[in-house]
Amino acid sequence: MIVKSLDPRIERAALDDESKIGELNVHEHFETYEVFQQVKRGTHHQHVGNVHAPNAEMAMLFAKEQYCRRGAAVNLWVVATSNVFVTEYVDADIFETTEDKLYRDPNSYKVMDRINAYKARASKV
Amino acid sequence: MYGNAYIENDGNKVNSILADEDPIKLAEFEARIAAGDKIEPKDWMPKEYRKQLVRMIEQHAHSEIIGSLPEGTWITRAPGFRRKLALMAKVQDEVGHAQLLYSAAETLGKSREDMTNDLINGKSKYSNVFNYPAPTWADSAVIAWLIDAGAIVNQLANSKGSYGPYCRALDRICAEESFHLKYGHDNVVFLATGTPVQRAMVQEALNRWWEPIMHFFGPPDKASQHSEILMRWKVKMGSNDSMRQTFLNMYVPKIWDLGLTLPDTELRKNEETGQWEYTEPNWEIFKQVINGNGPCNKERLAVRRMAEENGRWVRKALMNKDAVYATPLA
Amino acid sequence: MRTKPGPARCKEIRIISQPQQTVKIMEFTEKHVEGLKELLYKMADDLLIIGHRNSEWTGLGPMLEEDIAFSSMAQDKVGQSLALFELLHELGESDPDTVAFTRNDNQFHCSQLVELPIGEYDFSMVRHFFFDHAEAIRFEMLADSVFEPLSMVARKFKGEIKYHTMHADIFMKKLAAGGEESFTRMQNAINETFGLALGMFEPGNFEAELIEAGIFGGEAELQQRWLDKVVPLLESFGYLVPKVESTEPALGGRHGVHTSHLQPLLDEMTEVFSIDPGADW
Repeated sequence: MIVKSLDPRIERAALDDESKIGELNVHEHFETYEVFQQVKRGTHHQHVGNVHAPNAEMAMLFAKEQYCRRGAAVNLWVVATSNVFVTEYVDADIFETTEDKLYRDPNSYKVMDRINAYKARASKV
Repeated sequence: MYGNAYIENDGNKVNSILADEDPIKLAEFEARIAAGDKIEPKDWMPKEYRKQLVRMIEQHAHSEIIGSLPEGTWITRAPGFRRKLALMAKVQDEVGHAQLLYSAAETLGKSREDMTNDLINGKSKYSNVFNYPAPTWADSAVIAWLIDAGAIVNQLANSKGSYGPYCRALDRICAEESFHLKYGHDNVVFLATGTPVQRAMVQEALNRWWEPIMHFFGPPDKASQHSEILMRWKVKMGSNDSMRQTFLNMYVPKIWDLGLTLPDTELRKNEETGQWEYTEPNWEIFKQVINGNGPCNKERLAVRRMAEENGRWVRKALMNKDAVYATPLA
Repeated sequence: MRTKPGPARCKEIRIISQPQQTVKIMEFTEKHVEGLKELLYKMADDLLIIGHRNSEWTGLGPMLEEDIAFSSMAQDKVGQSLALFELLHELGESDPDTVAFTRNDNQFHCSQLVELPIGEYDFSMVRHFFFDHAEAIRFEMLADSVFEPLSMVARKFKGEIKYHTMHADIFMKKLAAGGEESFTRMQNAINETFGLALGMFEPGNFEAELIEAGIFGGEAELQQRWLDKVVPLLESFGYLVPKVESTEPALGGRHGVHTSHLQPLLDEMTEVFSIDPGADW
């Protein structure tokens, strides 16, 4: 049955609501690209999301509108999702450090006592 | 715009499904959520969590793309530059939100193509409210204000949920929705405070949309299959009734402030209990519409079919045979 | 602000929004002002109508991401149109909403190219390519206009338009290389649209005056620069471009003569506004 619509665009299209058109095939919406946006010169690029695109040029075009249509941006990177290599959350323990690595802690370096003791010895001579 | 997730599940069945899950992993998973931590795509998760989340996020995505249609009806007829530009921007945002949400759902392993096909085949649901027509300009104003308001109540709650990608998508969406709400309210105010013709137009639209708006948050808690486990897993972040109360409390006074009336003589706030009382909406109609028998269901899906079909030659032309497909990350 | 043309004299054009600033132009006659307004009207009308047409794709595009991009560009066009109607308002015409939403087709100065229905994506994409390159060059030429408010608008929108032509170029290129169906569709669309596109460069009534005063370099130069840009570009993508000499340009739009498509478009566009043009919407 032809759709009678209140939307003039849809009305003009004379759609058949029984038709089974439109079904998508596998991968018909292309692969994804991860998008990294630089808000201001001097700052890091940040991951903001992804876009489906058939190639990097179009990924760039799409990313500009999807992620940068509001607010400031000066630069974009896009990377095919298949080219992003990731760690596993089960291995998050590799990022933990133990507390006793004081040699890396600036506060563990205290020399005033040593300097004072030396001065005291030197003045007695 | 967010539509309510029509989560249906039977409490007993869930317990039996959970019985298959590794109890240690399940305990760790639930502890992480209880501590307010997020679940990320490659984390271990119970099958039921994945299933319910996919369904919920997918429904939300479908609601956005279908939601662009009733308001889209008025883009070409918006009166004046300011409204024309704002409505174009708003509807475009809805399409953008659909993209963000499909991406979030894809991280759970369902492809965008499968989700689209489930939509156009009627297998997946979307927010019922978009199955109604928008016969006048004032309808588009009421939708932009009150439906977006309802959506924001839901979205704000869900943005504190447990699944990382969904929360991140919702944060971005909530930021853009604030303009939608302001635009919608501004629009309704201009009509309500305008000429007699404008006032009558917006009052009629409000009368038409009140029941769908009351349906928006889903059936009452006592009638719906209440899911403790989805609340525990922070998939569902508030009961239907509590969200509805929040909405009524925020917006009914604002509607009355404009001198507009609502077609429910029982609607009032009980000052003792702090709860809003109202005539129970007709849930039979809700069921009919959600199952495909609303005024616009067939039209909405026919439009999506047409859009995908007409675009097929473009997509085919752009297909890259060297593409490597990977599940989106985050 | 139409008065009888008088003897050449020095004309001061006061910019209403900034009363302290006046642009004093030697020998700027009434004809120059008329020519300037004619130029602004045709640009504003083109941008409004093409923006309106392209907004018809919102929610119906071939893919979500492209839908978003195309809608953005449509908004940009309508926004650019508004900026030009605002300039016209400062020159004494009515406010933008009144001017845009209360004229009939014989009062519009858009090219016939922009008023045609959106058709399929092949036509809309080719129209986007032809129009946006013309717009980019027109604005480039106007960046040096002696009429400073216009040169400022032209410079302001440079970045937006750069994205538009970038988008058009990439799509035209990829669709040429996308197989037989795609190439044929696009080539046919180019063949059918070329004459319509040439109609963008229909001379106005004040070409000589605008060129002489340094307001605008004229449609003839614009057309030549446009051909120098789009013909090699299309050929590099593999398309054949019709010969200008053997193509009938679609003239009339600039002088209020339009196809049967414009009035229905305007009726639709003004449907709500005309419920009460005096109301605040």
